Amino acid sequence: MNGWILLPVILPVLSGIFLLLTSFREHLGKTGSGSGLSAVGNGMDEPERHRLHLLTCTVLVISAILAVTAAFSGEKSVTLFYLMKDIPIYFHIDGISRIFVTFTSLVWVAVGIYAFVYMKHEGEEKRFFGFYLLVYGVLVALDFAGNLVTLYFFYELMTLTSAPMVLHNGSREAIMAALKYLFYSLCGAYMGLFGMFFLYRYCDTLTFMPGGTLNPALAQDHRTILLIAVFAMLVGFGAKAGMLPLHAWLPAAHPVAPSPASAVFSGIVVKGGVLAALRTVYYVVGPDFIRGTWVQTTWMVLALITVFMGSMLAYREPVFKKRLAYSTVSQISYILFGLSLLTPTGMTGALLHTVFHAIIKSTLFLTAGVFIFECGKTRVEELHGIGKRMPKTLWCYTFASLALVGIPPASGFVSKWYLAQGALGADVGVFGWLGPAVLLISALLTAGYLLPVTMKGFFPGKEAGDAEVHSGTEAVKEPSAKMLVPLAVLAALSVILGILPNPLINYISQLVSGLM
Amino acid sequence: MQFVQNFPFITIILSLFSGPLSSILDGKKAKKINLAVITVIALMSCAVLGFVIRSGAPYVYMMGHFPAPWGNEIRVGVLEASMAVIFCIIMLLCMLGGVYEREEELEETKQNLYYVMVNLLLCSLLALIYTNDLFTAYVFVEINTISACGLIMIRQNGRTLEAATRYMIMSLLGSGLLLLGICFLYDLTGHLLMSNIQEQVAILHQTGMYNIPLLVSLGLMSVGLAIKSALFPFHSWLPDAYGYSTLSSAAILSSLVSKGYIFLLAKIFYRVVGFDMVRDSKVVNVLFVFGIAGMIMGSVSAIQENNIRRMIAYSSVAQIGYIYMGFGLGTTAGVIASIYHIVSHAATKSLLFVAASGITDASGDSTRFQDLTGAGYRNKLAGVAFTVGSLSMVGIPMFSGFISKLLFAQAGMESSHKLLLTLIALAISTILNALYFMKTVIRIYTPVSRAAIRKKGFRNITMKENKQKSAALVCFIILNLILGLCSEPIIALFRSGLEMFS
Amino acid sequence: MNIANLFNNYEEAIAMILFGIGFSNLLLQKNLIKKIIGLNIMDTAMYLFLALKGYIAGRKAPIVTNGVQSVEAYINPIPSGLVLTGIVVSVSVTALMLSLTIRLYRRYHTLDLDEISTRLKKEGL
Repeated sequence: MNGWILLPVILPVLSGIFLLLTSFREHLGKTGSGSGLSAVGNGMDEPERHRLHLLTCTVLVISAILAVTAAFSGEKSVTLFYLMKDIPIYFHIDGISRIFVTFTSLVWVAVGIYAFVYMKHEGEEKRFFGFYLLVYGVLVALDFAGNLVTLYFFYELMTLTSAPMVLHNGSREAIMAALKYLFYSLCGAYMGLFGMFFLYRYCDTLTFMPGGTLNPALAQDHRTILLIAVFAMLVGFGAKAGMLPLHAWLPAAHPVAPSPASAVFSGIVVKGGVLAALRTVYYVVGPDFIRGTWVQTTWMVLALITVFMGSMLAYREPVFKKRLAYSTVSQISYILFGLSLLTPTGMTGALLHTVFHAIIKSTLFLTAGVFIFECGKTRVEELHGIGKRMPKTLWCYTFASLALVGIPPASGFVSKWYLAQGALGADVGVFGWLGPAVLLISALLTAGYLLPVTMKGFFPGKEAGDAEVHSGTEAVKEPSAKMLVPLAVLAALSVILGILPNPLINYISQLVSGLM
Repeated sequence: MQFVQNFPFITIILSLFSGPLSSILDGKKAKKINLAVITVIALMSCAVLGFVIRSGAPYVYMMGHFPAPWGNEIRVGVLEASMAVIFCIIMLLCMLGGVYEREEELEETKQNLYYVMVNLLLCSLLALIYTNDLFTAYVFVEINTISACGLIMIRQNGRTLEAATRYMIMSLLGSGLLLLGICFLYDLTGHLLMSNIQEQVAILHQTGMYNIPLLVSLGLMSVGLAIKSALFPFHSWLPDAYGYSTLSSAAILSSLVSKGYIFLLAKIFYRVVGFDMVRDSKVVNVLFVFGIAGMIMGSVSAIQENNIRRMIAYSSVAQIGYIYMGFGLGTTAGVIASIYHIVSHAATKSLLFVAASGITDASGDSTRFQDLTGAGYRNKLAGVAFTVGSLSMVGIPMFSGFISKLLFAQAGMESSHKLLLTLIALAISTILNALYFMKTVIRIYTPVSRAAIRKKGFRNITMKENKQKSAALVCFIILNLILGLCSEPIIALFRSGLEMFS
Repeated sequence: MNIANLFNNYEEAIAMILFGIGFSNLLLQKNLIKKIIGLNIMDTAMYLFLALKGYIAGRKAPIVTNGVQSVEAYINPIPSGLVLTGIVVSVSVTALMLSLTIRLYRRYHTLDLDEISTRLKKEGL
């Protein structure tokens, strides 16, 4: 019996639902007694909050441990039940699941601990943590999914359960952003489904197999339509990953969501799109089928344009979290570009960047959260001199941004190195040199939009320092340990993984060489 | 002959006679009798279903012991019995969900008349499901129309009267065409029993005689039934009829009445004319085109609507379009998808109507969108139920709508020249569905300030306040999840039923 | 297929023409009473058609008066039965339509369905 590998899915989902139900009941009780809907959530007393944190923390840690144990206990598979004939809900753990589950769990736990403090000022903590646990369960299931239908199933669930986190503060912008998010994701998912119908017909099975399951005899006569289907899937799943042309939800959703939610959105949820694209290309269609076709070229072009455009937009963006969101748009397309190369080196780079970006981007969003939480600052120019008040936080930010820019020895350098190597080594014509060039320009832009925050933060100049004194933010101090420790751990990881990348690289290249 | 084989006939007679009985009782007793009758019929249909599944073959029940070419017949297979069961369950839940509204909205003296209509409707639905005689089918189609019209107009305001009139006119046009088609077929074959007609049609088809009259007759019957079940260009009566009639009427009309006609159409395709002939004719292409037009136009109208019940009504137009598209594919897989969608839509749409009424209850009985803000918090069960219904309509995995969409797409795969059109129509329609249903869900879960609620005089509704409605909603949600998660045995049932259908 | 068939079976042709007249009246007339008249013409056309199908030249109606004569003496009774059933259906449907018309007339003092619709829209119900 391998049923226990589903425990890390069931446990958070059940406790999430439990939290949601109790929060719902309280909500009703409160409105009934007339204490006002607008003021709800802040009425939670300390012991109750403590219990909530304890419960969430325990569940998170236990499920994370279970998930990682399950992931590293060998190749296991479970068939839950048959959705329809020949279409089971089927889970299978392989190397890709392992990588995704590990970094998901890590970031999720760290951000969760951070959120215990942060969510005090957002209110509605029970509801937030309810969904937070729920999404974690769904993500683990998504990572464990063993066939395309199961993947799709949990992909949709991920969209649905994560939307309330965007919706959290219930303002008009939040609703519009959540609607935008839902709409883009559903559109994307249906493009994916559209392609899936074709694959269902032309593949031997929708179960993931390294190298693909496309039936060559059947596929031979219908190459054009199959390519269209694959392309539709890539664009559709690209919506979640913020790839052009369906990227617009990301910058809308991030500023309105609470910072921990943005952190996991940027770090983890968008990786759901990457995972779906990866599974489709490498495990169902097979890289050989699209190598050298217009699909590969278009995919590459879209990814490169997104890389460049995301960086440009981030460079010009004054709102800090929006700037980070655009940066996500650009960075995820690094990964997609790596995948589109269809070479082992490119894919290694892509997977490395997936892991690194998850850690780095969550760190960045968490620092943005600290600035909002401690002094309510959302715009970049307001952050001048912040380093004087919160040196530790800003140092974390600095390390993470250096890693994202790709300055050796921090982690971003390693993945970008592999991406560039992959592009140069791949047989993709003009993109062989255009790709690395775009990556380089984008890295410069990344430095351009991330590092000024550090510089102005530590060295605000004279006038700004005076303004600071007058504006009365003197009292702002470093955040509490509960916020700082996860931040520091993640920031440290983003550097350490760059200094000692060999185990990870070895693992991934082994995995990739098994694939191609 | 086992006793259980009498049950289909007994169920029809039981519901037929409990109608007149209700007319001499007062409203309360009539309600109890009605609920009891539906429950009994559901149980009996279950017994019949069990019997046909065990025997593995359909059986023919002679009415009055007149043998085949002369007498009237009932023919029961797995598909018929399962439809009867599902229709009974859904009708029971619709009646339960709308108890409170009926007592509010209908005049005291007309309460019992409502149950007369419901019993007659159930009788006609059962007869449509079971009968093997084309003219009997026509008569019960008319009974169905009349009782449905009664259900619409019993809540008397200008809108419902107008809607009932429009419904009647459209229906009469449809039944005129249906009757003409049946008469042509009778003229050509000399039979009224479906199985006998099919033998003759097969001979005519082989010899190539009277091909055009046969085609005309098939076309007339299809168009007639399509008009009656509100296929896209003939839907003008539908939003008013569903939007303003009393709750249980709206739920029953949207989920069952039109489905009875569609089931009859499936029967005509399979048992009367023979599916091969239908496939060769161009009739299916016409249905296909109109089905797709309905899928898209219905959703477009729903997006523009500012009244939640009318929005759901327009979404029915779209869903009926799906069903006709499935028929239009001209494959058995398409028909199975359509039949599954009949069931899934029946379960979902009645859920949506009942949930929407719960939401409007918590918003001062207003159906306009701006008043619904935050209603999901004021009536939590209705909010959850509406969300489930919407997700099912949009086609999120786990709920019934996803399975029917999957089946439609799979069916589309089998007919190469309609493949692309089907998939594109499915994709567009799904996105449109998502647009208006998600919009509504987000609206009902948007918090509003306490002051605004107090100003408008909205109140919270707990589960205990309206027990029947809560029970109905819970059952509907469960039904939806069952259809979404354990679809495999149900589809297998329909597939085997369809095999013994012709 | 030639035009002569149309004249040989002129009864059927007339039934179809009548059906068309009734159908278009029911569909196109604005006045509700005229619509109902159209409905009745349509139904009657159907009965004519059915009766024609059952008729065999030179035979009697299947009504037993002096004991049963041979089968060859009577026309086909089934269409007659169908006509009777059809009449019942048509009567009830007509009655329902008329009652609806009366209700609408009492409320709006007009028989024009389109005008009723526009008034309903004005009421903004």
